[in-house]
Amino acid sequence: MDLESPAQQAVRSAAKEFVANNIITRASEFDKSGEFHLYLLDAAKASRIFAMAVPKEYGGLGYDALTQALVLEEWGYGCAGMGTTLAASVLSIEAVLIAGNDEQRRRFFAPMLNGEIGAFGLTEPEAGSDVGAGTTTAVREGEGYRINGAKCWITNGGVASVYVIFAQTDVKKGTKGLSAFIVERDRPGFIIGDKEHKLGLRSSNTVYFEFKDVQVPAANRLGQEGDGMKIAMKTLDTARPAIAALAVGLAQRCLDECVGQLHRRFPDRPFPGQTLQFKLADMQIQVEAARQVVRHTMMLRDAGLPFARESAISKTLGTDVAMTVSSEAVRLMGSGGYTSELGKFMRDAKVMQIYEGTNQIQRLVISRALLAPTAGAAPLPKGVAS
Amino acid sequence: MNFELTEAQQQVGRNAQTFARSHLDAMALDLDRCGVFPKGIIDELAGHDFLGLLVPMASGGVGAGFINHIQVVEAFSRSCPAIASILNNHALAAHAVAQWGSDAQKQHYLPPLAKGRKLGTLAIYEDGPSPGIGPDPLLALRQGGGFTLTGTKAFVRNAGVADLYVTFATLEPTAKEPRLTAFLVDADTSGLTIGPGLDTMGLKGCPVAQLFFQAAALGPDALLGEENGGSAIATRLLSLGSLAEAAQTVGIGWAAVKHAAEFATRRVQFGHPIATLQAIQTLLAEAATDCHLAWLGIQRAAQLVEDGAPFEIHAAMVKAFVGRFGSRTLIDAIQVEGGLGISESKPFGVGGTMPLARLFRDMAGTTLLDAPADFPAKLIAESIV
Ligand SMILES: Cc1cc2nc3c(=O)[nH]c(=O)nc-3n(C[C@H](O)[C@H](O)[C@H](O)COP(=O)(O)OP(=O)(O)OC[C@H]3O[C@@H](n4cnc5c(N)ncnc54)[C@H](O)[C@@H]3O)c2cc1C
Repeated sequence: MDLESPAQQAVRSAAKEFVANNIITRASEFDKSGEFHLYLLDAAKASRIFAMAVPKEYGGLGYDALTQALVLEEWGYGCAGMGTTLAASVLSIEAVLIAGNDEQRRRFFAPMLNGEIGAFGLTEPEAGSDVGAGTTTAVREGEGYRINGAKCWITNGGVASVYVIFAQTDVKKGTKGLSAFIVERDRPGFIIGDKEHKLGLRSSNTVYFEFKDVQVPAANRLGQEGDGMKIAMKTLDTARPAIAALAVGLAQRCLDECVGQLHRRFPDRPFPGQTLQFKLADMQIQVEAARQVVRHTMMLRDAGLPFARESAISKTLGTDVAMTVSSEAVRLMGSGGYTSELGKFMRDAKVMQIYEGTNQIQRLVISRALLAPTAGAAPLPKGVAS
Repeated sequence: MNFELTEAQQQVGRNAQTFARSHLDAMALDLDRCGVFPKGIIDELAGHDFLGLLVPMASGGVGAGFINHIQVVEAFSRSCPAIASILNNHALAAHAVAQWGSDAQKQHYLPPLAKGRKLGTLAIYEDGPSPGIGPDPLLALRQGGGFTLTGTKAFVRNAGVADLYVTFATLEPTAKEPRLTAFLVDADTSGLTIGPGLDTMGLKGCPVAQLFFQAAALGPDALLGEENGGSAIATRLLSLGSLAEAAQTVGIGWAAVKHAAEFATRRVQFGHPIATLQAIQTLLAEAATDCHLAWLGIQRAAQLVEDGAPFEIHAAMVKAFVGRFGSRTLIDAIQVEGGLGISESKPFGVGGTMPLARLFRDMAGTTLLDAPADFPAKLIAESIV
């Protein structure tokens, strides 16, 4: 803890307090209903936490990566579903930070400063891991582009005000023909479809949407035509450790809930048998290791050093640990665990192994860095970037 | 030893598979959604003779063995694990009466249990480290030739829908090593109330609740076996229960592996079905291996049960083993299906409902460790140290 600066400590304790008052209290209710936690946007408005990744010069909080991770860990401790809303909005901000010009940034960040949120739309029905297989097109027309196609599994897709959308400007080129666009929610032809009912992260809004002849000006294109894949991958590099931070928070929560349940059920036995004691120790070992890997990744990023490999490692380790720890917690606490909130954490963790690039795709990236550190020596499937 | 099943045993297995496909597949989703105990299916189960499997023929049952029981539980679990669980709770209660009941008790309870006119279940757990020593144990007092029960049983399955609770209480709490005594408690016993159904993650439709006893009066004929003889009964029932839960784990596991494998042959990414990827094949192969090896262990233990040989260590090992892989099977099967795997409904572009999310939740409810006495390592270690 002492390794955090006073400013980071202050942010963390503010986040902890916010989570205790606004998230932990209502997470279960929204998990049950599956409704989007709209109230949270209001609750967070004053703190402008949804603008935590927006640089100060644009009026945001300008938190460095490590500080963002501290906040996300607290949010994950409260509810990974609500944390996912924040993380996905940050993801859209990162894309604009990576590829947007000054005017685009101002435009895109304005809603975030006002407590609104963004979304990042890459996945399509036939293009999940294989990002290059997308068929959404953006055809140049005079001063702008006409977008047609569909996106699925988009977090915040039904509740965001601004979107970063990926579409083919040159279908023949596959991943090299992918481009990124800012699309505002109120553009005609942008049709928001059904929301998914999910095993976990239930209150996080995940939707399918379509573009029917949606017109956007050329000023909405991020970077050059064909930069889309590079932008997407760079953005996901920044986002993966953020998901890992949520996962670490979730896993720590499971442990704390286990201890709470044990002490409630067996008040006169502060220590259970060694079998259970050691299981808890094993779980804590994993959580702490994952936490440090996430923080290390963020520190690399803050220092301006390469962190793509560490990003993949932290996402895989963090979400795998969250999965293991939460399912062990349910099993070890027996019917008491299975009928408590621990079950929610287990359901939430499962989803986190899949989104932001599955943990298999991360392993491709990690093993390539190990086996063939020189670029191109062991080609990844087309569309998987390092 | 011989793992071949007799023709009669195979027939029961086939019947269970047919019943699962014709009756359970179609109801599994709705049951998960509404979570209300499916009364109607009890008649169907009785009509197909699945409720009297462990009841001797002389008492109106099928007189089949434990091997048949695990076959049925496994087959049902592939389609609707909640029904497998309801059936298993019932079968173990019927088995308890058949095994330890007096002639009068058998005559009274077994024919209706075998024919589904009565549903049974077990009430063993309490909200403490083990029955008898927690904050609110179920205590029995001798009174006027009979007994009165006061206290609470926790996490009782089939609660509120069972007619018979095979209930374990502590008769002499101050004894140096207090032991349990088993009672046959009718649902309409005055002084017995059922708590609200708990919010379970899965196995929806199989209600779980507490039983509250307030000076509930029982006649002498409610005693099952001997006074203070209940601990041995409970241990044996829990061991049998471990095997049935293991069969449930294997059934859910196979259902998931098969669904994921089929999905993987259809889902194309990077130009090929993902089933051609080694990473996917490994996930499927490991899950299949776990299910297969567990099933061998379960069958072996069930054979010992039928032979009247000691099987408790085998059951503990099986429990320890399925506990290690049960949830992982669903974690990995869903991983194979990616985003679609976590869907609780009919996602875009997919004709039907995706089942793995439901099976994930059902699996979590199948591999629980409910009391420290459940930690199988202790029993296993004692047998080898
Ligand atoms: C809750 C949720 C929120 C999401 N939010 C967003 C969002 O905001 N924006 C967005 O763009 N997307 C989002 N997604 C989509 C997510 O990124 C994809 O689900 C993910 O990339 C996987 O794609 P898929 O589901 O199509 O699985 P598939 O790509 O079909 O993968 C199926 C299986 O095959 C494996 N696999 C695929 N290719 C390989 C390979 N080459 N080697 C080894 N294994 C492989 C995968 O690991 C997986 O196990 C979200 C998904 C979920 C579930």
